[in-house]
Amino acid sequence: MKRRLILVFWMGVASCLAQNAPKAPAAPAAPSTPAADTGKSSDSGTASGSKESTSAGSDNQFLGKNVPFLDMGTDVVTWDGKMWNISNNRLLRARFEKYLVSAESTEKEYAEYQKIITQIIDKLSPEHLTSRAVDEAWAMLPKASNYAIDANLCDSLANAVYSVWLAKNQVDRLEQANGNLDRERDLLSWNAEASVKDSSVNQYNPPNDKVGQTAWLKDREMERTIRMQPYTVRIAEVEAMMKANRLKKEASDLQSKVEFQALLMQFFLQRRFQHVVIGTRFYRVIFGDGDNKMRVGNETAKAISNFSGMPPTLGLLESMANEAMRDVAEGVEAFTFLVEKKEMAGATDRLAEAFAVGEYMPPIRQLPREKKRQALDFEQKSNQLISALEVRDYTRAEDLVKEMQAVARDFDTSKPMAAIETARTVSAMHLSKARVAAASGDRATLETELKAATEIWPRNPDLAKISGSIFNQADVQQQALSDLQRLIAQKNYRQIFDDKVRYIAATALFPDQQEQLRKILDDMQLVESGIIRANEIAKAGNYAGAWENVERVFQKFPEDNKLNQVRADLTTQASDFVRSLRTAQKLERNSQVGSSLAWYLKAQSLYPTSEFAGEGIQRMVSQVMPDRK
Amino acid sequence: MVRRASSKPKPLWFITTLLLLAAALGGGYWLYQEVQDPYRVVQDLNIDIYMENANSLRGNVYKIEGTVENSLAWSPVKGRLFSFETGSSSQPGYVAVLVPPQLNHINIQKGQRFRIKVEVIQDGILQVVDMRKS
Repeated sequence: MKRRLILVFWMGVASCLAQNAPKAPAAPAAPSTPAADTGKSSDSGTASGSKESTSAGSDNQFLGKNVPFLDMGTDVVTWDGKMWNISNNRLLRARFEKYLVSAESTEKEYAEYQKIITQIIDKLSPEHLTSRAVDEAWAMLPKASNYAIDANLCDSLANAVYSVWLAKNQVDRLEQANGNLDRERDLLSWNAEASVKDSSVNQYNPPNDKVGQTAWLKDREMERTIRMQPYTVRIAEVEAMMKANRLKKEASDLQSKVEFQALLMQFFLQRRFQHVVIGTRFYRVIFGDGDNKMRVGNETAKAISNFSGMPPTLGLLESMANEAMRDVAEGVEAFTFLVEKKEMAGATDRLAEAFAVGEYMPPIRQLPREKKRQALDFEQKSNQLISALEVRDYTRAEDLVKEMQAVARDFDTSKPMAAIETARTVSAMHLSKARVAAASGDRATLETELKAATEIWPRNPDLAKISGSIFNQADVQQQALSDLQRLIAQKNYRQIFDDKVRYIAATALFPDQQEQLRKILDDMQLVESGIIRANEIAKAGNYAGAWENVERVFQKFPEDNKLNQVRADLTTQASDFVRSLRTAQKLERNSQVGSSLAWYLKAQSLYPTSEFAGEGIQRMVSQVMPDRK
Repeated sequence: MVRRASSKPKPLWFITTLLLLAAALGGGYWLYQEVQDPYRVVQDLNIDIYMENANSLRGNVYKIEGTVENSLAWSPVKGRLFSFETGSSSQPGYVAVLVPPQLNHINIQKGQRFRIKVEVIQDGILQVVDMRKS
């Protein structure tokens, strides 16, 4: 928890400093009061800066956005309307993975560097502190800076110390100048006094009359003023110069402090805690006035105060740096222990926390790669699990959970499994609804449910299977419906009748087409019945009767091929009857009533029960005898 | 002594006699028939032509002989309409014959055979002018 607090503090201060950093150098430009008021001046300077920010509408902003907010309960940072988990961030994960795969820093160079750093810290420690030790420590800074791992930070620190020393020299010179000016002012005062003391101004007695006395006094006063004027003007100039020098000294002193503190704060934010310790120790030595108050912006001061409960001081910064170093060492120790216990989840978390705080600390840099690789394996799987959950690949996520459970005894599967099971259940529910919708022909619901199921679990194997079957079914159905419409247009009812099972299934969901098909099948049933009946009659040798049966059906369904074939066969077999009947019909159409009636009579003689002949005869008779009884 | 030739009947004469007798009988029958047919001067109806185009025969009078097949209809104004089977038994023909009301007195029943004098009237219908049982 403490480790996390440090991390959180680091983030908070980072944001605050980022918004206040530009204001710090401006603070020394304004001072005009003695050192005792410097803090106030700095604050006022910062306050004015804050005021400016407020007036610009950016008092609570970071990089032009709102200051990040961290929810300690969930480790979620909110910034600019976006949220991310600080322990689950792509950049942090990538950096941590890079660290896990890198070799430990056990080489000679790193050991030498650490030796120098340790020596510097040791030389600056209060128990060994001497002017010579300070000089030696300062001289070692460039040496430490020669190592790549240092990133020239020691050089920066050495330069900062040197700058302070130069500033100190300037302050000394200013003090010396002020001393000279002070002496000059004393001399000028004495000269002024002397110029009027021995002059003729005091040698003449005043007249006795009152008017004369008054005029005499005026003359003397004027004379005294004229004599002293050059001295008083010069004294005023000297005093002004002294005041200006005093201001310069104060400003120079304050600027040096602010710059040095800014550098220390920067080291802290860079998590270069060893450099923070070295810097704070240098600061105490080179300023030596006991003023350890940090001149930082209001937000940064507030963040430090909120975290520590105390106002920001160099001592606090150093103690936090020491605490961070201790914490990192403890984190690495915890990691090592948990790895031995095969509790990789906890181990990886501890190492990630320690890494976040003390990326450049020796315990982190010197951790053996073999141990890190165990964490790497778990971390990679963990990242893959996060990715799988992000893209809702729950099949992969479940596999990863199992693998992670195998390598990490302490891995908590409840959260990912809850997500996986929930997605499965909801997806299955939507798929069930989609199935029902498909069965009932509710296309809108089918699409909605399939879309919902896809959104929840895009790579759900059941989704592909079920949607495939639904759409295959839909394709077959669509094809059957298309064929049905084509056959209807062609009046090929025989084909429809032959494949009636297919079309009955296809039109099951379409009432209009179902009704159309029902009528076609009913008609075809009549055709089939007519053919069967004709065949039976023909079997009895009554070809004319058979033909007449077929002909009656044919008149309704002339397009049926099978019926046509049967009709053609029977026409041959009952040729006399058919010829008589057709001739009669032809003559009837030509208004040859007598001839037509004769042929109908002949046809009837060939097939006495012929309905066609009987009907024809009745029609003809009706023409001959419209009033028949 | 010369014997007198015997007079035996000669076959030629016998045959000739038979033929003559047959001819006489035939001629008699023909004559009888001719005398019996009251419409011997009327032309027979050509059934084939009638069945092909009855309208073309309109106004003509023919005679037919046939058996009553069926009664097709009756009208007080137009009379009775019967179907008759005419022609030979091997190649029968069928015609409808309209018996006008003037001939209502003639009893016509199915199976009866008649000699009929007909006129082809409008629509090619055969209307009876006169008819007698044969």
